[in-house]
Amino acid sequence: MNFRKFLADKFIPVVISLCAWLIIWDFLSAFHIKSGQIFIIGIIYFTADIIKTLWEYFRRKTFYTTLVSDTETLDKKYLLSAMTESPDFYEGQIFYEILCETNKSMCDNVAEYRRHSTEFQEYIELWVHEVKLPVASLLLMCHNNPEKSEKYSKQLRRIDECIENVMYYVRSENAEKDYLIKEVSLKRAFNASAVKNREELQQRNVVLKTKNLDITVMTDSKWLEYIMGQIIGNSMKYFSDDREPEINIYSVETDDNVILHMRDNGIGIPTSDLPYIFEKSYTGENGRTHAKSTGMGLYIIKKLCESLGHDVKAESVQNEFTDIIITFGKNNFIKFK
Amino acid sequence: MSKIYVVEDDKSIRTELAELLKNAGYEAECLTDFSDSKRHIIESESDLILLDINLPSVNGETLLKEIRRETDTPVIMVTSRTSETDEVLSMSYGADDYITKPYNPTILLLRISAVLKRSSKENIKTSYRNLQVNTAKGSLSDGTDELVLTKNEMIIFQLLLDRQGQIVSRDDLMTTLWDNEEYINDNALTVNISRLRSKLSDFGCENAIETRKKQGYILI
Repeated sequence: MNFRKFLADKFIPVVISLCAWLIIWDFLSAFHIKSGQIFIIGIIYFTADIIKTLWEYFRRKTFYTTLVSDTETLDKKYLLSAMTESPDFYEGQIFYEILCETNKSMCDNVAEYRRHSTEFQEYIELWVHEVKLPVASLLLMCHNNPEKSEKYSKQLRRIDECIENVMYYVRSENAEKDYLIKEVSLKRAFNASAVKNREELQQRNVVLKTKNLDITVMTDSKWLEYIMGQIIGNSMKYFSDDREPEINIYSVETDDNVILHMRDNGIGIPTSDLPYIFEKSYTGENGRTHAKSTGMGLYIIKKLCESLGHDVKAESVQNEFTDIIITFGKNNFIKFK
Repeated sequence: MSKIYVVEDDKSIRTELAELLKNAGYEAECLTDFSDSKRHIIESESDLILLDINLPSVNGETLLKEIRRETDTPVIMVTSRTSETDEVLSMSYGADDYITKPYNPTILLLRISAVLKRSSKENIKTSYRNLQVNTAKGSLSDGTDELVLTKNEMIIFQLLLDRQGQIVSRDDLMTTLWDNEEYINDNALTVNISRLRSKLSDFGCENAIETRKKQGYILI
């Protein structure tokens, strides 16, 4: 709180006070009071005025300075009203009450949206379980009636993939912590996603090479399987026609981390696109010229990795390779977000 | 023949599951009255139970916990819930495996057979013709000589042996190999089969594996 600005704000009261003093002075002179006495009265009058102004200033200063510095230092500024105490002067109290009131109203408003969002997420999760039943049923029917069923199963697996995408998108967007972190074997997780994608990998004659996967990391196995499946799916979209498609899956262990590489020999990512590939809805050159892309896959992977406390990045040389690298912290080095 | 009890409230999945199991040579029985599931399940005296989590009037996990108090029949949880929490909970309540819908039917059958083997309700064949099969060592022996198979060949031979006399499709062989972390392609499978054939015939088992066109292979 700036004293000069405070005084400038008090311009009118000061003018009124001066006018009043002029009238008093005039009045006292009319009664032939000695100028020495008028001077003493004047000193008393103005000293009282100054003390009054200073007192007003300091009373407000404590309250407003705390308010301003709290606002500046607070990470979540909407918590201000909870940090502030009601002041001992009237206008401040009015202001404080209004602050609390608007804050409460905003909280209610936010809670309302949060409730909507949670309800929506719950409904989506429910819907996903629901819609998986007919898909499961149809897959069984295809298997039980093998004539021509291969192409039907293939489409069903595509539907299932779309359903999973919706589910993990909802999970990644929501703050709800519905994952469970425990020791997961990279070998097992990769095996699950490889078996799930076997038909397509085989159709495209993809060579899978695994190395050093006999290691455990702290993660949620379901999420990791999904992430690996997505990366395999991406690789399959962007293989080069000139060479035999190949994906190398291997891990490197350091003192603090386990680093998982999933490296394909596909068409790679243009250097100009590389910094943006994990951004929402970013499709880039490959997404436009090659396979159709929604720009959501890598974004979801990034969000899931962030929630789990893993680091994910991509390295690539165009027309040579794309390497998606996930870094898992070791035990106590995991930072939960 | 092992008897499998299907606890699944979706009628269409239930019927298809029963058919799948019957085609695979199991006896399948389905629960249709969910009012007293626990009693029905226990009275069925099955060799294995396929249990759904979302059941009318009772939660599959609770049911599993109750079943476990009375019997140690193997249970495979089959569910559309894909969260780690559900899986960990089910396993801690004593489930033998956990599979999420929609599952690959071949994998479901593989898991069933693996669980049955573990609980040794299914006879493990350890001999073929006059040969002793040593899965752990990956070899066959006729008492004097030993025939060493590669890991892939052993997996293929074991599956064919388990279903001796039945046709095993290439798809089943592939799924089994991939499930065992052998990510081989179509050509490699053909190569592996022909190598296995010649090894067997060198060892005195002529025409052990027959090819059924467009269907698969059969171990005679």
